[in-house]
Amino acid sequence: MNQQVKHIVILGGGSAGWLTAGVLAAEHMANDANGIQVTLVESPDIKTVGVGEGTWPSMRTTLQKMGVSETDFMRCCDAAFKQGSKFAAWHTNNVEDAYYHPFSLPAEFSQHNLAMAWQQYREQVRFDHAVSFQSHICDRGLAPKQIATPEYAFVANYGYHLDAGKFAQFLTQHCTEKLGVKHAQANVLEVKSHTNGDIASLITDVAGEIAGDLFIDCSGSRSRLLGEHLGINNINLQRYLFNNTALAVHVPYASQDENFASHTLSTGQQAGWTWDIALPSRRGCGYVFSDAHTSIDEAEQVIRDYVAQASSAEYAKQAELKQIKFNPGHKQKFWHNNCVAVGMAAGFIEPLEASALVLVELSAQMISEQLPQNRQVMDIVAARFNAKFSERWQQIVDFLKVHYVLSKRDDSAYWLDNRDDSSIPQSLQDNLNLWRYQSPWHFDATHTESLFSSASYQYVLYGMGFETLKRTHKTQSQAKLMQEAERLFAETARKSNQVVSQLPTNRELNLKIHQYGFQKI
Amino acid sequence: MSNHALLNNVDHKDLKISRKRNADMGDQVMFCMTFPVEFRSVQHDYPIFFRKDAQTGEFMPVAMFGFEQKENLFLKDDKWDAGYIPLVMDRDPFLIGFQQDRETGEKKPVIHINMDSPRVSNEEGEAVFLEHGGQTPYLEKVSAMLQAIHAGQDHGKAFVQKLVEYELLESFTLEVELNDGSQNQLIGFYTIHEEKVNALTAEALADLHKEGFLQSIYMVLASMSSIRDLIERKNKTLLNK
Repeated sequence: MNQQVKHIVILGGGSAGWLTAGVLAAEHMANDANGIQVTLVESPDIKTVGVGEGTWPSMRTTLQKMGVSETDFMRCCDAAFKQGSKFAAWHTNNVEDAYYHPFSLPAEFSQHNLAMAWQQYREQVRFDHAVSFQSHICDRGLAPKQIATPEYAFVANYGYHLDAGKFAQFLTQHCTEKLGVKHAQANVLEVKSHTNGDIASLITDVAGEIAGDLFIDCSGSRSRLLGEHLGINNINLQRYLFNNTALAVHVPYASQDENFASHTLSTGQQAGWTWDIALPSRRGCGYVFSDAHTSIDEAEQVIRDYVAQASSAEYAKQAELKQIKFNPGHKQKFWHNNCVAVGMAAGFIEPLEASALVLVELSAQMISEQLPQNRQVMDIVAARFNAKFSERWQQIVDFLKVHYVLSKRDDSAYWLDNRDDSSIPQSLQDNLNLWRYQSPWHFDATHTESLFSSASYQYVLYGMGFETLKRTHKTQSQAKLMQEAERLFAETARKSNQVVSQLPTNRELNLKIHQYGFQKI
Repeated sequence: MSNHALLNNVDHKDLKISRKRNADMGDQVMFCMTFPVEFRSVQHDYPIFFRKDAQTGEFMPVAMFGFEQKENLFLKDDKWDAGYIPLVMDRDPFLIGFQQDRETGEKKPVIHINMDSPRVSNEEGEAVFLEHGGQTPYLEKVSAMLQAIHAGQDHGKAFVQKLVEYELLESFTLEVELNDGSQNQLIGFYTIHEEKVNALTAEALADLHKEGFLQSIYMVLASMSSIRDLIERKNKTLLNK
């Protein structure tokens, strides 16, 4: 078979489906007669899960490439800025014991490893406060830019918090009206195959038979094409990361002008952690936990207590909770024959570092950049895709697990079990051994475009009280670093004071986005 | 807050306004807002750039007087050394206020005065009212200026909106080398992209022409020749040092 890839069919209309459609349609010019055809099939009867309310900074580039106006996006999707995450009560069982994993790198990170210099001052100043001006912005509830900053540009690096349902709607409109994506609202009744096992077409109830050359499975955890039809199994990750249930809830503001945070607040709890994501119109909170370590009643009490603190006791009593069950894990392979899975159809894990949407973006980007011209070369691309994303899933497991491994909490079996050697991947154990003697640095990112940089590891490690010992012998670069470090710590403090005096609060800027919007330049 | 008062010929009958132009009077500014209605006069003496309003992020046209904060190269011996003073500078210390009509509820523009301005006294300068309460020619002129500003604001906003719509603005950095060899950079300003104007379709040109914006665009482009004059003024200050 040497069939050209001219028609891509995407199954599923959540954020994963529409983001993938948008990335592919924009690059491969679906709105041009000489471009590629992109059809998205969406069941009118299946509701989207609506999780994944946090993005990485990569979303800015993704939206920009799709030709989306940032002002329109923020207005339509109830979106706010996200400058990173704050982890409270992870190190010890005390909510005051907290640290940031901000999106901005430590000062002059490409040249200087400030982590080694900071070790001397660790009793006096927190790592994030010493090396990142962004942590000071977050402390004060300030936005990462001003209204006069052009769209997608920043003073401090940022991604978004958004309403996933509104986001899917917004992308639907943008993809169908501007990018030439065809939208078929129909249920899939049957999947037809070629003799080589490739998917030939989808038989639908009201949109007839939809044939295609490449099928992208964005059907959510059901994995209608890759899982159900092609029989690709899951790799379960629960032995590393125990959480498999979530209780989600919306929390209203006390008043319309209440300021809100531009970081995700993650608080360690008895058998998991709670998330707290501030949108302009409400907060989205939830408790994600291991059902082997707590009962659903206990879990409900935890989240209701949290809501009571965040809002009021009355609201907490009557607030509607939504339960989400998931199997932490991913498919054995993501691309099989002429079908590739993106989003929850490919895998899902607790949203501790908001990895869901960024994996969708990275998948769509690789499919788009490496799009095989014909069926003959598709298997080569598929093999590369599978290798790349298996690697990324391992990177995610390691990085999420490091949050648990370094905890000193011993108030429940959950935290103790999380530190059991059998639950820690060997790759992470090796790294932790090494980092006792040298801090995470560029060489640790063994793969180019590693999902989590050594800066991310530094923020978490030193936020969690990890100690890297001083070298026993003198080195040339260490002597030089100590000279530079004084300057960089002072520079970070100066820059923090400067930007803090200039930036508006998140609420102030949000109002201005609605009133004036950002300029393109 | 400034001490703004509604101008009237009872409280303010003896008021005099100093017309001196110097730093003490608050004239030492690098630029001021300008409006398409005065572009023809402004472009003769001043480069017209665009700047973002820090509060709204919206572009506004500005007339340039210098290359750094608090530099006005047109101030000389208590006078403004140019044939035309932009409206926003010339109207000082008067400003537009609004008064609600008790019967119709309509908001009407009225003249306010900043009583804290160093220009205001009973001793020195131009009289505002005549002996029996009538308006002096000076006040009539001020009134005309304020009306021009009032009308010019909306028109100016519409002009900027069209520039944004057709993506004609670009950010730029002006690098100036002075006679003493020093390099000066002007950043944070925007200008009209001439090539993009030349590439506009006939429909776009007709659309811009409809409200006189095409002429305003060319006035802005023409004002670029005033940059040279501004540099010369700056070089002269170096000689005097």
